[in-house]
Amino acid sequence: MSMLDVVDLEVWFDLPGGGELHAVQGVDLAVERGDRLGLVGESGCGKTTVMMAMMGLLPSNATVSGQVLLDGVDILAHGERSVRSHRWVDLAMVFQGAMNAFNPVQRIGRQIREPMELHRTASGAAARRRTNELLEMVGMPVSAADRYPHELSGGMRQRAALAMALACEPRVLFADEPTTALDVMVQAQILQQLGQLVDELGLALVLVTHDLPVVAAVCDRATVMYAGRIAEQATMDALFHDPRHPYTRLLFASTPDLYGEEPVVSIPGSPPRLDRPLTGCPFAARCPHAFDPCREQQPALATLAAGHLAACHLNTRAGVTA
Amino acid sequence: MHGSVYLARKVGLAAGTVFVAITLNFILFRAAPGDAVSNLSRVPHASPQLKEALRHEFGLDQSKWAQYLLYLKELAHGNLGISFADQQPVSHDLATALGNTVPMVLLGTVIAILFGVFTGTVAAWRRGGITDQVNTNVAIAFYSFPTQWLGLMLLILFAGVLPTSGMTDEFAIDPSWWAHLQDVLKHMILPSATMALTLYGEYTLIARSAMLETLSEDYILTARAKGLSNARIVRRHAFRNALLPTTTMVALSLGYVVGGAILIETVFSWPGIGRAVYQAVLQRDYPMLQGAFLVLTLSVVVFNLIADLLYFKLDPRVTE
Repeated sequence: MSMLDVVDLEVWFDLPGGGELHAVQGVDLAVERGDRLGLVGESGCGKTTVMMAMMGLLPSNATVSGQVLLDGVDILAHGERSVRSHRWVDLAMVFQGAMNAFNPVQRIGRQIREPMELHRTASGAAARRRTNELLEMVGMPVSAADRYPHELSGGMRQRAALAMALACEPRVLFADEPTTALDVMVQAQILQQLGQLVDELGLALVLVTHDLPVVAAVCDRATVMYAGRIAEQATMDALFHDPRHPYTRLLFASTPDLYGEEPVVSIPGSPPRLDRPLTGCPFAARCPHAFDPCREQQPALATLAAGHLAACHLNTRAGVTA
Repeated sequence: MHGSVYLARKVGLAAGTVFVAITLNFILFRAAPGDAVSNLSRVPHASPQLKEALRHEFGLDQSKWAQYLLYLKELAHGNLGISFADQQPVSHDLATALGNTVPMVLLGTVIAILFGVFTGTVAAWRRGGITDQVNTNVAIAFYSFPTQWLGLMLLILFAGVLPTSGMTDEFAIDPSWWAHLQDVLKHMILPSATMALTLYGEYTLIARSAMLETLSEDYILTARAKGLSNARIVRRHAFRNALLPTTTMVALSLGYVVGGAILIETVFSWPGIGRAVYQAVLQRDYPMLQGAFLVLTLSVVVFNLIADLLYFKLDPRVTE
C-alpha cells in the first residue's frame, strides 16, 4: 500500500445530446511520499480528468467509479462529504492557467490564508506569518500579499498559486500544466522552484502536462496516458531509452530536441472517440506496428520489469519489440 | 493611487450631464408649440395689454438667450418657478409629490431587489433542478405581466381587505401620528406590492445569469479544491462578484424611484409625482413639467454616480 493509491478509476461524462463519454478507463496509480510523478499525454487523453477525479472536483455530469485510497482509506467513498476534509490539507492543486485561479476582487494574501483558516491549520497573526513565509518560499516579496491578482504578472500569479497550494502543507501536490502560459525563462524558474520545494517539504508531486521536456526536468517517473487508459508507466530513464509502447516512442519523437539533430515526427491521425465502445487497442489505427491482435483485443497493462508497465501486444509477441 | 482621478472624472461627467439635461429641458419646452401666455390667457377677449403684461411678468418678452441665463440663475438659487395650474411654487408641489412617491416606490423596489437577488441566486445554485425552473418561470411571468393589469388583479383580489385608493383614510379625523403612519402603511401595501412584483422578475433573471457566470469561473473551482462548502463558496466568492452587474441595475432603478410609477399611481390613485406629471401634461403646466424633469434627471444621474462609486468599491479592477 502506498500513501496514495488509485484503484481502477473510471470516469464517464453524460453528454448533453444523450450518450456517455468514457473519459477514464481503469486507471491505477500509486504515489509515495517524495515521488515526482508525471502524467503525460495529448489533449483529451484524460490526464486532467484523473487528477480532478482524485480530488472529487469533476462537474455533476460526471460519474466516477473506483477508489482513491489515502493511507488505505477511500476518500471518495462518501462523495463530497468524505473528500472535502482532505482537500488542500492532504491533496492540493496548482491549476492550469493560474491567471484565473484567484478571485479578482480579493487580495492575494487573503486567498492564501483562506484554506488555513478553513482547515484550522493557522489563524490570525500566525496565518499572516505563514503567508509571508510561503511567499518568500516561492520567491515573491511579502508585499504581494496586499496586491490584487490583476496587479501581478503571469509568472508572479503562478508563484502565488504555488504558495497558496502549499498553505496547509499538503502531502500530495497536483500541478496541472503549471507553466503552460508562461514564457520559457519564467517557466524554467518556476519548475526549478517546484522541484526544490518538493524536495524540501517532502511532499509527492503529480505533474500533469503534455510537455515532455517539462516532465523530464522535474519528474523521475511518468505515466503515459492514451484515450483514457494507461499506455505505459516507467521511470523517465526507461521511457526515454527503452519505451515499450509505440505511442510513448512517437510522443518523444514528436518533441523537438535542442540541437535539431533528429527530425521532428508527428503522429498521424487523431485519438479515437470515447463516446462509443472500442474494440482492440485504442492506438491501433495510428500505430505503425499494428498487427492483427491489436484490432481485435484490448492489450492488458503488463509488468515488463520492476516498475515498468506497458499495454501493448508487441511486448507479448516473441521476438518483436516496440 | 488613481482612485481620486477616477472619482473626479466620474463626478465631472455627472455634473456635465446635469448641465446638458437642464439646457435640453429649457429648449424642449420653448420648442413646444404655444407658450405660457397663450395657455394662461386662453380666456375670451384677453386683451393684448393683458398678454403683454403677462409676457412681461414671466419674462417672455426678453430674448431666448436672456431667458436661458435667467433660468439658469433662478435654478442656481433653487427657484423652480410657479405652477400654472395652482399658482403654488413648483418646488413646493414637487416636494409634496416626492414625499408621497418615494416611500411607496422605494419600499416596492427594495423588496423587489432583495427578493429578486435571493431567488436568482437560489435558482443559479440549483441550476437545472425543479427549484431553478419554478423560480425562473415565475420570474419571467411576473416580468412580462403589464403593471396596470397586475395592479388591477391585486385590487380585485384584496379590495375589502386592504385599502385600494389614495394614501390616507379621508374620513379619519385628526388622527394621532401613530394612527396616521399605520393608515399610510396600510394604503401603501398594494401599490408597493405591485411595484415589487413587476420589478423582481428582472432581478431574478439578472442575478441568476450573473451568478451562473460567476460559478463557472476558475476561481470557484479553486475555492472548491480548497475544501470550501458550496454555501461558503457562494457567500465568500461568488456573491460579491455576481453582484457587480446587479449593482448597475439597482442604481438605475433607484434613479427611477423618483420618477415614480405613473401606472401604479394611477391605478391606486396615489398622489405621487408620477400622477403629478401626468396631470401637468394634461394641463400644459410647463414649469411643473420642467421641474419634475429636472428632479428626475438629477436622481438618475446621482444614482448612476453612486453605481460607479459602488463599482469602484466592489471591484479593484475598475481603475485600470
